[in-house]
Amino acid sequence: MRRQERFIVAAGVLGLLGLWEALARLGRLDASLAPAPSTILEALGRLLRRPEVLQSLGVTAWEALAAFVIAVPVGLLIGFTLAEVPGLGGLLRPLVNFLFGVPKSIFLPVFILVFGVSIPQKIAFGVFTTIFVLIMGGIAAVQSVPHALVTVSRVYGATRLQIIREIYLPAMAPILLESARLGMVFNITAVLLCEIYGARDGIGYRIAAWGENLQMPQLYAALVLVAVAAVAVNEALRLVETRLGAWRQRS
Amino acid sequence: MAAAVVTRPLVAIRGVSQRFGADGAGVLALDAIDLDIPDGQFVSVVGPSGCGKSTLLSLVAGLRAPSSGAVLCDGEPITAPMPRKVGVIFQEANLLPWLSAIDNVAFPLKLRRVPKGERLEAAARMLALTGLAGFESRLPHQLSGGMKQRVAIARGLVQNPAVLLMDEPFASLDEQTRMVLGDELLRIWSETRKTVLFVTHSLNEAVYLADRVVVLSARPGRVVDDVAVDLARPRSFAMTSSERFGILKDRIWQHIKHAERR
Repeated sequence: MRRQERFIVAAGVLGLLGLWEALARLGRLDASLAPAPSTILEALGRLLRRPEVLQSLGVTAWEALAAFVIAVPVGLLIGFTLAEVPGLGGLLRPLVNFLFGVPKSIFLPVFILVFGVSIPQKIAFGVFTTIFVLIMGGIAAVQSVPHALVTVSRVYGATRLQIIREIYLPAMAPILLESARLGMVFNITAVLLCEIYGARDGIGYRIAAWGENLQMPQLYAALVLVAVAAVAVNEALRLVETRLGAWRQRS
Repeated sequence: MAAAVVTRPLVAIRGVSQRFGADGAGVLALDAIDLDIPDGQFVSVVGPSGCGKSTLLSLVAGLRAPSSGAVLCDGEPITAPMPRKVGVIFQEANLLPWLSAIDNVAFPLKLRRVPKGERLEAAARMLALTGLAGFESRLPHQLSGGMKQRVAIARGLVQNPAVLLMDEPFASLDEQTRMVLGDELLRIWSETRKTVLFVTHSLNEAVYLADRVVVLSARPGRVVDDVAVDLARPRSFAMTSSERFGILKDRIWQHIKHAERR
């Protein structure tokens, strides 16, 4: 059943690409807007051999990774604190909720004013966008810990440290990984947005440039590249999540 | 000669009161409870809803300190959980969902840093005792409600504590399962001779299992009756329809009926 479904999906995608290819070759599509898939593939091959494009990919990956590595621990720590310190949580949570709902892109000009058009600016904006997902995730993770299990461990003589290691961490792990994965999606989006808006390097900067110059094959090739990379990161995180969350009851 | 030895009660509850809320102003949940429980006795605790049965158990478990009075285990005051002397089983099995049955049973030993081989061996023995040999590697969500509670009982027994506290352990199980588990508990008890403090809502269960039924009043909980169950052991299902069983149950029900009507 699952294999059949996969086969149908794959066949559908291939069919669409075939149709697109045929229409492009027959001249039914505007080649300047929608070049044939084979042309895009060819452009992709060329891009991957150009050192400056590979360097741009590296810059973007570095920015996203740096922002992620900062946002995840800091965000989770803030989330844990808000969940565990009752007075503080009540005071600051409305603010967090408000900022979580606001589109972060409107703050981009502020980041350019503060940091200039620079790599630190991309990282800072990535952190700013991602951290709210992790704060919310941290709060949800703490709240998902069943209090009864804490009581049980206390009855069996667990120390505070043992309760954290044996109960809190495993109970929170699935939600923590899920928010890290969601955070990564927001993070990549934020970094690319920064690069498209104004940058000196990075794959987002190249995408913007190719778009402005109507270099459609390169533009689409870059989109494929970014999409594949983002999906790969997402699926890798999801794999860890499923492994660690196998105990969660499925009905 | 043996009769001349004054046996010290294994669990002694001495003038225990428990007040909740702001000091002095809160609700009085338990009022001057005195109970002596000798080693090896099976005691049921019953009482109307909200009489503080579970509070009493959490005091013996060392989860909270009484507002006044003291709880002693083997002559030693209980001020914190004493996992090696007291095993606790709750209404819900409360197994760690990410651990297999055997790892759940071994969990109290892990907290005490018992070496892995040793603790798994002890856990396997306990699972066999509770009739779960062959289910060692199952995760909790792969077990039925009754089996989960068996795992919880095995976990309560794994450190070989002298006292077993059971807080309505069968309350969320269906009738058949709770009858089967009741008999299983009596078998385990006759093999291990623990001192059992068993809180329940079910008068049938209270009388059927115990040597003695302690009846608490409505809040504030006081001991209003202490009924010796003089039914022969081993207990059998047929006894539940005997005249004596009915008399004992009726005596307990009279206390609770009055309280629930208020």
